[in-house]
Amino acid sequence: MAGAKSASVLCMDVGFSMSNSAPGEEPPFELAKKVIQKFVQRQVFAETKDELALVLFGTDSTKNSLDQDGQYQNITVHRNLMIPDFELLEEIEHQVHPESHQADWLDALVVCMDLLQTETKGKKCDRLNISLLTDLNTRASSEQIDVIIENLKQAGITLQFFLPFPVEDDEESGRDADRGSPGHPGMGKGLSEEQKSSVDIVKHIMLNLDEENGLDEIYSFRNAIEQLCMFKRIERRPMAWPCQLTIGSCLPIRIVGYKAVTEEKLKKSWTTVDAQSNKKDDVKRETVYCLDDDNETEVEKDDTIQGFRYGSDIVPFSKVDQEQMKYKHDGKCFAVLGFAKQHTVRRHQFMGTQVIKVFSGKDDEHAGVALSALIRALDELNMVAIVRYAYDRRSNPQVGAAFPCIKKDHECLIYVQLPFMEDLRQFTFPSLENNKKFTPSDTQLSAVDSLIDSMMLLEEDDNGDQKDMFKVHHIPNPAFQRHFQCLHHRAVSPSTPLPPMEPWLKAALECPDVIAERCQGPLEEVKRKFPLTEVEKKKKLKTSAQIFGKDSGEPDAKMAKGDEEEDYNLADIAEGSVTSVGSVDPARDFRTLIKKKSLPFGEVCQQLTRRLEQLLSNKNTAYFMKSITCIQAFREQSVKLGDANLYNGYLQSLKTSIPNRGLEVFWDLLVQDAVTLISKDEVKGSTVSKTDADQFLVTEEKKKEAAAPPAEDTGDVDDLLDMM
Amino acid sequence: MAEWNAYYRNEDDEEEQEEGEQSGGDYKITGRDSLVFLVDASKEMFIKGEDGQPSNFDMTMQVVRSVYASKIISSHRDLMALVFYGTEQSKDPSKSFKHVYVYHDLDEPGAKRVQEVDALRGGKGAQLAAETMGSGETSLGDALWCCANLYSDIKLRLSHKRLMIFTCRDKPHEGDSVKDRQARTKSGDLKETGVIIDLMHLMKPDGFDVAPFFRDIISPPEDESELGLQLEPCDKLEDLQKRVRAKEQKKRAQARLHLCLGEGINVAVGIYATAVTARKPAPIRLYRETNEPVRSKTRTFHTQTGSLLLPSEIKKSQVYGKKQIVMEKDEVDAIKKFEDPGMFLIGFKPMERLKRHHHIRPAAFIYPEEDEVKGSACLFSALLTKCHERNVFALCRCVSRRNYPPRFVALVPQKEEVDEGKLPLQFLPLYLAFLSLKENSRGHCSCPTASQRQVDKMKEIVSKLRFKYRSDAFENPVIQQQYRNLEALALDMMAPEDTEDLIMPKVDQMDQRLGPLVQEFKDLVYPADYNPEGKPAAKRKTADTGGGAEKKPKVEVPEDELRAHVQNGTLGKLTVPVLKEACKKFGVHTTGTKKQELIDALVDQLGQ
Repeated sequence: MAGAKSASVLCMDVGFSMSNSAPGEEPPFELAKKVIQKFVQRQVFAETKDELALVLFGTDSTKNSLDQDGQYQNITVHRNLMIPDFELLEEIEHQVHPESHQADWLDALVVCMDLLQTETKGKKCDRLNISLLTDLNTRASSEQIDVIIENLKQAGITLQFFLPFPVEDDEESGRDADRGSPGHPGMGKGLSEEQKSSVDIVKHIMLNLDEENGLDEIYSFRNAIEQLCMFKRIERRPMAWPCQLTIGSCLPIRIVGYKAVTEEKLKKSWTTVDAQSNKKDDVKRETVYCLDDDNETEVEKDDTIQGFRYGSDIVPFSKVDQEQMKYKHDGKCFAVLGFAKQHTVRRHQFMGTQVIKVFSGKDDEHAGVALSALIRALDELNMVAIVRYAYDRRSNPQVGAAFPCIKKDHECLIYVQLPFMEDLRQFTFPSLENNKKFTPSDTQLSAVDSLIDSMMLLEEDDNGDQKDMFKVHHIPNPAFQRHFQCLHHRAVSPSTPLPPMEPWLKAALECPDVIAERCQGPLEEVKRKFPLTEVEKKKKLKTSAQIFGKDSGEPDAKMAKGDEEEDYNLADIAEGSVTSVGSVDPARDFRTLIKKKSLPFGEVCQQLTRRLEQLLSNKNTAYFMKSITCIQAFREQSVKLGDANLYNGYLQSLKTSIPNRGLEVFWDLLVQDAVTLISKDEVKGSTVSKTDADQFLVTEEKKKEAAAPPAEDTGDVDDLLDMM
Repeated sequence: MAEWNAYYRNEDDEEEQEEGEQSGGDYKITGRDSLVFLVDASKEMFIKGEDGQPSNFDMTMQVVRSVYASKIISSHRDLMALVFYGTEQSKDPSKSFKHVYVYHDLDEPGAKRVQEVDALRGGKGAQLAAETMGSGETSLGDALWCCANLYSDIKLRLSHKRLMIFTCRDKPHEGDSVKDRQARTKSGDLKETGVIIDLMHLMKPDGFDVAPFFRDIISPPEDESELGLQLEPCDKLEDLQKRVRAKEQKKRAQARLHLCLGEGINVAVGIYATAVTARKPAPIRLYRETNEPVRSKTRTFHTQTGSLLLPSEIKKSQVYGKKQIVMEKDEVDAIKKFEDPGMFLIGFKPMERLKRHHHIRPAAFIYPEEDEVKGSACLFSALLTKCHERNVFALCRCVSRRNYPPRFVALVPQKEEVDEGKLPLQFLPLYLAFLSLKENSRGHCSCPTASQRQVDKMKEIVSKLRFKYRSDAFENPVIQQQYRNLEALALDMMAPEDTEDLIMPKVDQMDQRLGPLVQEFKDLVYPADYNPEGKPAAKRKTADTGGGAEKKPKVEVPEDELRAHVQNGTLGKLTVPVLKEACKKFGVHTTGTKKQELIDALVDQLGQ
């Protein structure tokens, strides 16, 4: 692709009249300088190969190649044609000042033309341009104007004017009102005589160069700054991808694909440098490998091989083998697998990050006809082609859909990638429509309706044309804009902190003012009609591992009584509504229930013992620990409430059943934790003396008869308890 | 070509980022998913269906196998278990249950497990099952208890616990109320620890009635409407597979955000990706001697002093217009920040304004999160209904995560639809299509259009090759091949299983179906002497064959010219091969292959 680049000359007036301005307005000089800065910045960051020269006129000195016999005075070629860089930006910042002479702007134009012609000799430039920034406040000798126009035309040089004021089609600037504020800044007290005559010359030149749109190339400084604010996107040219569309084995159509839409990425990435020297070479990154042992023994890279996980297995699989065994295909392809109804390929199934437009092969009329037949057939039948697409031999093949697209001036297929089975995740969502809880009422619906009305971004103007107020694809990627803004700032003023976001960028991302204003009312209405309350974050449900882990490990015997109150409160909040003794944390549920007093004490105790029996029937240490916690809770609450009978009764019957149920291990644990009967000393109503209570745990002989429920099976226990 | 290639390379880099964007989310925080298959192994399960239909048991094993295999691909860190109940033999770690056979305890699935499940498939599988396990008494209570033990033995943090019961018996205990009650209690316990119990009931001759027993066992559905549809038993493998698939994955929000309609009107929504590009797994490094995985550590140190560099001793830099621009790492991050995460409504547009080609990344779904902001579902529902009714989409600015620059997204209303399988409602609410911020419309040419006769002929061709598109119909051959290879290596198989490339056109069938149509069409559009397969022009040939076989012309630039380029900053004009050659010539060592890297290296060398 031969580089098609452009060469342009920025020609700026620095003469004394440029510093004049109406009070409260920026002088034209400053505005013009800003335009130039923005423009050069754009070029620098866009990294184009376009070359740029800078010519100043109205300078105190003279430096140009036409300087002869007092002709072409006060015109300085500040910089010859070359790729712009930060040096140029700095020069503009520090070396371009308002000066005290005036020069003929037509003379300056001639200097620029001469410069362009001599310096582009032998270079391939597809576009030559001169941008003139001036207030036109010098008398211009119009004698040679036709020669100049002729030369411009011959050399193919385009012209742009940047003026402090707007120029209208009409002589009367009365139409100004349509376009902007009545008194455009920069107009000051109106135009001077020189300016008026110059404007006529400018119009004359521009209309001669391009009858239709010549005046479109005259900008006001303000407009220009706004437009130039956006950093130009990095230039890319379409890259053709020639291939063949095939249907079956014997119907090929020559095609060429172009990437139509894809997300732009920044070309450059950050490199890491040393903070002191700012040099990349001073920093080295190194990756070492080490075994997963206590010493983290390092191993050489050469002593490692490549492997893959296959589920829990690790499979050594060298690169060579992988290459040998990998999926291979024949390369480049755009083969139709079949045709499907358009509505079966849904937008939400689109994959990938790009859209490709497919046209017929270059300069191939017959392929054009064949492809057109396909496009039209698909369009008329409302079908899409499902195709296998492979960019080349090295890339992975895709499955995708080619939609027909018929525009006024062209037809093409639009290819989008579709998912593979592996990519899909089947999610089901509970229905919103059929859920009575969430069905909005009619008044609620109408509130939303009027919100939509007020926030329609598409408006019909007087002519019945639709006007889009928020064209997303006209907004430059804000990330890039910000990125370049910060880079530029850092480059020109290295030691200052980064600037805030530019106001225009912020504004560009917001809802248009008209809409924002218009929707206030409907929004208030929506707010009233739809109560929205933020839910306080609840504690997450605990996983079983946590719960079991905690319960078994806790030193239960040491549960300090003082802490209990707090414990309860926390438990209350966490559990919300405990209605019965559950199996997850029966002890806590038990305590909570007793505290809430919603159920009689006896009932709660019964629930607890039922759980206990369940837990004990599973002879597992973790369950034993849990059971002990339950018994401890049972005891503690009984003591607190001064009712020892249920507890003592249960513990005694438990003891008798130990041998039958083979729960000796559990009993040992109980003994260890010294969980015994409640004695008279603790609760007055108890029938057990202190010594009896102490003795209770010691006598663990298997002499007791099976008086208590001979529970073999948990089912039976349940039944017995049910009868209680 | 360079640019296309560059694109493909970029894609890889970008994938990393995207990966973070798409999959990340809660995964790391919440722990692993687990799934227990509890399969009835009673005699009834082994009864073969009519006309050679596989038995319910066989069907179940196929599903289990496919879930194992897909888990290995998609989320190998999930834990899976396979437990049979109603067996004659017993096997469980605690040895306290009868008639429960833990075939696989909860662990990551691996090649061996897949093979073991394979062994249970088909006629031979039934035989093997009879030999090793047999059919015996049933106690679902014990089985559930045993599963509860499996869960409690896991020391890892589990985020999502699911248990699927596969059975064709609606009264497993034949009316034994004690056992029934026991099973209910046990299932209650399981549910209390956060296990979700699903019933995958299979067809039996006189119908399956969920109500008397299983209704109390399974977890209540997420909403009432689901219940009605789910009560139908599965009789087809695909249905079962679909139902299992739908349940097996936990829907996990990529992000939870507030959809802000205006000041103070915040609807809580979760973003869900329903399609995420599956990739080949990343390789891991192993120690040659022992095949154990090694960990890698990356450190940054100073080249001269050799001392390790702290993050504060490092800065980031870029070069533009011959100037180095340096920033702190924090600043680099700060540049990306625009605002806090959220979706901000900008306005509404008619659907036809959303063009098909406005696509730069896969869509996602959003669904209200009633647990975060009460009332979200109602407002969301109203918005959805109205947008759909008026055929408009909502345009929003979306910052999906902290320090992510904003994007514009379209919230497109989508009505609920019932899948044709026996799935509950597959509900697809508003989706996010990421709009390109700046469309790069590239090249178009004016081409001739076809006549109606030609179009009509093509229509015949199109009609002949019609099929019903299903998004899950195509497997990715690249990934499948990779896993087959790994499977073969893991299981010491002689050769990997053959994979069918489903995205290869079935040329023979197509030709057969089209018959003479192709020739007729060709006669209509191509002149007799035209060869559509011919290369457009001879000179393009080299580009097409790609590869590096053909000799490259040696390219060199004289030294002074090169220096001039360096001086003027015009090195960019030269091509990559020329630059490489120049690097060689001046003894410049670069590791980079990108143009900019070459240029930078040359400038460094020659600019001094």
